[in-house]
Amino acid sequence: MIGIKKILAGMLIVFMAIQFIRPARNENGQAFSADAPNNFDIPENILTILKRSCFDCHSNNTRYPWYAHIQPIGWLVAKDIKDGKAKLNFGELGDLSPRRKATKLQEMKNRIKDGTMPLPGYIFLHRDARLSKADTELILEWIEDVDRIGKVLLKL
Amino acid sequence: MKTMMVLSALCFLSLSLSAQDKVVDPKVTASVTEIVTHYLDLKNALANDNGGDAAAAGKEVVISLSKVDKSLLTSTQKKAYSDLADDAKENAEHIGENGGKIEHQREHFELLSKDVYDLVKTFGGGQPLYKDFCPMYGDKGGAWLSETKEIKNPYFGKKMLKCGSVKEEIK
Repeated sequence: MIGIKKILAGMLIVFMAIQFIRPARNENGQAFSADAPNNFDIPENILTILKRSCFDCHSNNTRYPWYAHIQPIGWLVAKDIKDGKAKLNFGELGDLSPRRKATKLQEMKNRIKDGTMPLPGYIFLHRDARLSKADTELILEWIEDVDRIGKVLLKL
Repeated sequence: MKTMMVLSALCFLSLSLSAQDKVVDPKVTASVTEIVTHYLDLKNALANDNGGDAAAAGKEVVISLSKVDKSLLTSTQKKAYSDLADDAKENAEHIGENGGKIEHQREHFELLSKDVYDLVKTFGGGQPLYKDFCPMYGDKGGAWLSETKEIKNPYFGKKMLKCGSVKEEIK
């Protein structure tokens, strides 16, 4: 009996200790604006959807839920953001060459079509981030448009 | 007179610089040849409708891309190479990860083909290649590179294996 109490107390101490190891926050404080020079020209209706469903992991500004301030959840959130931004960062998409943009958009289209993005675990916790059928169609249509123009420019 | 001399010197300098950028170290061309070899394996796997083999070849493309010795490139070449290689790597990675989704692989193959074409054009492909084009793929057709004159369409496989024609011979 004393053993279990000791173990529980030990776990509590560890839990409290890890609260002090906080990952850096993914916030640059700048609101994303589609016409900022580094950004990508995204129409307002698409931007609204992307902000809600994609930007938490694919931009320089995350809206952190309250539980992301509790470790180790915060660490997992930080890892998703790091991985997400490495693949695609809307805040820096504008810096890429037309070739790179075309590839990023292609991947985005495939992921959304597959339903592998937004991540199922993320949607489970963020119900509002789920892409409705109408949202999906709007995004895919937009990508097709951009893609068509982009490929003409690239002479693919 | 003095300004003329300076100007002509500058002119000569810029000319010789761009000439230098056109000279590609043979070791770089050899590495690009390896990339092309795996790309062609990928192309043939897609023409055979084999997503699994295409995924394996895609992974080989990724590995071969990392083997190019960038220290042998001029700074202009390095910039061109990085853009092409980053893009090719990303496309080849997706092809490698999507063995069960051949249509996704084909969409990335279209972009990869453009990358590899430009790599070959810039750094040499080490072998004669054909640029083929099939007007039926996607909105405005799709291009690819082949080692043979005979058309084997990687976008349609056996559905339309003969669709396409040679647009360019690359020597």
